[in-house]
Amino acid sequence: MMKQKSKKKVLTYTLLYLVVLIGLTWALVPIIWMVLSSLKTQAGMFSMPPKFLFKPNFDTFQYMFSESGGFLHYLRNSVVAAVSSTAISLVLGALGGYALARGQFKQTKHIAFWIISTRMAPIPAVMLPLYLLFTQLNLVGTMTGLIFAYTTFNLPFALWMMMIFFKEVPEVLEEAAMIDGCSRFQAFLKIAIPTATTGLVATGILCLMFAWNDFMFASIFSGHRTQTIPVAASMLITQQGIAWGQAMATGTVIITPMVVAGLAVRKYLVQGLSMGAVK
Amino acid sequence: MQTNVDKAWKNKLEAKRIKKRFSTEFWMLLPSMILLAIISIFPFLYLIYASFMDFSISFENPEFIGLGNWKYVLSDTLFWSSWGRTILYVGIGLVLQLFIGVGMALAIFHLPKGKNIVVTLWMIPVFVAPVVAGLLGRYLLNSTYGLYDWLLSLFGMETQVLGNISTSMPAIILMDVWEWTPLITLIVLAGLNSLSSEPLEAADVDGANYFQKLTYVILPLIAKTIVVALLVRSMDILRFVDKIRIATEGGPADSTKVVGYYLMEVAFKFQDFGSGSVLGLTMLVVTIFLGQFFVKFMMGKE
Repeated sequence: MMKQKSKKKVLTYTLLYLVVLIGLTWALVPIIWMVLSSLKTQAGMFSMPPKFLFKPNFDTFQYMFSESGGFLHYLRNSVVAAVSSTAISLVLGALGGYALARGQFKQTKHIAFWIISTRMAPIPAVMLPLYLLFTQLNLVGTMTGLIFAYTTFNLPFALWMMMIFFKEVPEVLEEAAMIDGCSRFQAFLKIAIPTATTGLVATGILCLMFAWNDFMFASIFSGHRTQTIPVAASMLITQQGIAWGQAMATGTVIITPMVVAGLAVRKYLVQGLSMGAVK
Repeated sequence: MQTNVDKAWKNKLEAKRIKKRFSTEFWMLLPSMILLAIISIFPFLYLIYASFMDFSISFENPEFIGLGNWKYVLSDTLFWSSWGRTILYVGIGLVLQLFIGVGMALAIFHLPKGKNIVVTLWMIPVFVAPVVAGLLGRYLLNSTYGLYDWLLSLFGMETQVLGNISTSMPAIILMDVWEWTPLITLIVLAGLNSLSSEPLEAADVDGANYFQKLTYVILPLIAKTIVVALLVRSMDILRFVDKIRIATEGGPADSTKVVGYYLMEVAFKFQDFGSGSVLGLTMLVVTIFLGQFFVKFMMGKE
């Protein structure tokens, strides 16, 4: 009896590990293959059957980051656009999110619905009117336009997340500070912000991620001078063919900082990506 | 005595708060609301306006054509077929993500060891930019040097996956499944971890087997979280068309032309902003509908 039970257990666990192994293979092979391909020579990339063992070659990366590769220019654009829109969204989002969490507005539910529909609005449907507006204001191809475009999804996101985070912070501390003579705004700055720092950082990192990963807005709104890395990656697809070596190297550069930052805020990642539905 | 003083303080504070509340919090919220209005209400109104205008003659001075764009779009077969494909893309994609995501979550949840590292590795595709997911799909499925194409050929399947109208859409769906299934797993795992052991122990006492525990105890308890997750995912699948733009450009023969991609093409390739606006409004209606459910679920929880 005992023996049978443990045998069953071994079988179950073997099965579980097998399922997990298949899942992980499916999830990771594309990424591993991308990184490997970025380290291959042109000839090595296209050899059939594919090579799994080879001497790494950093030529592609070296070329990309060199003067003629022009990659640093795209990197700069990506960073400026992502950081600026994140900064704007975070400041306004913290102020507004706090107000929504603590204030007793009659329309909180309506505002919440408004925020969510703005955040979730299909990008093509947002881009069309923005494009018409931007052409009239001469903002197409400018960094200002791109930052503004990213704020269309980052501001509602930051507002929503900060509202949720501030709701989780007990109000007692702020009340005590206000008894001691602090104003509401001082209580927000000195008490609420420090207690919600992790939430603030997590929201900021997710805003950076959304802007950094954006391709759709940038493909229409960024010009030659303001091209971001994802647009540069898409430009490698030409009528003559695709520069796969560079494409895979660019892909590696796009995902590396996001994987690192994302795993750092892992706990909040699920909360953020599910718009606060999961704690 | 002490309590009286406390009460007096509290009353005073309360009075002060009610008076102050409007001013401080109102001003804190105002900048966001103004910016939000500029980025949401303005585009929405402009979309309605543009849907009645013809931009083909002059881009700066469009001409009013009444319901012309609406009539054109609603009688356009591509409009209906692109919505049909969108429903397939969202529907099949979500079903696959749900089953694989829940399956992986249960498998990981019951692992005796190594849960943490498995979750960490499993969630990596979530960080991948859609443009990179599209590039990877196109690279792996390339018919002359793609790794997956080579694997398929080992099984005797010599086909151009992305170049074939019957396999292009499944490939696009699988790219989305690859990228986003881990999110469903993470959400379900969070639900599983927060389950209290009591109902499960009660089920054990009643002699329930694992499958019964799953269908009658575990899944009903995390059902609401899963519904919310699916709502977010469905809105997100509608939002993005990057992968399609990179991997197939809507083709071959329109087989991957979902409504979002069709809008991009109508507006930015053919410069028909009027018809594009009609398409955009139909998409917005769907998102607003889904968003309403989402807010109901979220706010109802408190």
